[in-house]
Amino acid sequence: MKLTARELWRRPDTRFLILFLAILGVSFFVIALNFVNNAFVVPYTTFVAKMSGVALALLGEDITVRGVVLSSPRFAVTIYNGCNGLVTSLIFISGVLAFPASLSSKAIGVVGGLLSIQLINLIRIVSLFYIGIYLPQYFSQSHIFIWQSIVIVAGVALWVIWANFYGVKAIKRN
Amino acid sequence: MRRFLRRLPLMLVIAMVLWLAMRPVLDWGVSAFGQVLVRSFEYPRVTRIVPEEHRAEVRRADFRADSKIPTLSLTEIHFNTIVLLALYLALPKPGSKHQLERLFMSWCILFLTQTINLVLHVKFIYAFSLGEWSLAQYSDLARNFYGFLRYFTDLPGRFGFPFMIWLGFNWELLTASLGIEDQQDSPKKKGRKPRS
Repeated sequence: MKLTARELWRRPDTRFLILFLAILGVSFFVIALNFVNNAFVVPYTTFVAKMSGVALALLGEDITVRGVVLSSPRFAVTIYNGCNGLVTSLIFISGVLAFPASLSSKAIGVVGGLLSIQLINLIRIVSLFYIGIYLPQYFSQSHIFIWQSIVIVAGVALWVIWANFYGVKAIKRN
Repeated sequence: MRRFLRRLPLMLVIAMVLWLAMRPVLDWGVSAFGQVLVRSFEYPRVTRIVPEEHRAEVRRADFRADSKIPTLSLTEIHFNTIVLLALYLALPKPGSKHQLERLFMSWCILFLTQTINLVLHVKFIYAFSLGEWSLAQYSDLARNFYGFLRYFTDLPGRFGFPFMIWLGFNWELLTASLGIEDQQDSPKKKGRKPRS
């Protein structure tokens, strides 16, 4: 059977992938623009650094936050784009928006997912800070493949949980 | 679906162990195929990508003898293999013939994305990091082109491709686990026979 664009669009799996890629592409194009980066991404990353500083201070660290740099007498770390949870959040949001569900379900998914991913990212930053203090020889590996893998898999798990609760209900009602 | 979520943390650990074991092979594979792709589109063919301690050294035959050699982290390029493996291992019957075939095809596609990401990193080095030579060889349009593609395959690509590929190959399995019926196959009019 010859696959036309219409056939691809009618299939739920290819429709999801097309929508997912389109939403992902547009959202990352938008945040790549200089004025969006300056107006949103940088202040957002600064906010993530501040929240991490608050968490570390609550754990007893003598922490100073300057912009996106977290420093203490024992260790310092800079939070870049890619470490602020924004990438995973946008991928998660693209998955929610591309999957068949009601608008209210998608709104719940977006808000709930964003908060959950930011919490996971906060735990990640705090743990990496302590790994940098106590196990510095493992910092690079922990940062690159351990925590990045955990965050991505956590994002997928959150999406599966959302799809199970909200995607299913919407399709059965239809 | 609960079983999938319960298995996922353990499968993530197993996937990390498997990836660590395969890391030298992945380093070599991504570097070798990346070199083939870069050399296929350059004349003269001067680029060599050499894996060294989990980094890729980008060597050119026309570099001066005293030039520093740019390097790229191969770990960052192919660590997302862990995610693909973990997602597959957490599904039911991961050792079945059907699932192994799907895993193989998925991995091939992911490997291709990893290699393209490496190639774009190499082109980014050439377009931005070699001073006057870069400005002479690459136009503003070319630099923006490679810059954007590298950015896209770095951030959303590395993080999103394993999920997309896994979902694309396992859509029916996943939607069945979620209890979603495929509404597309239902006849729309009364008395109309469903298509075979």
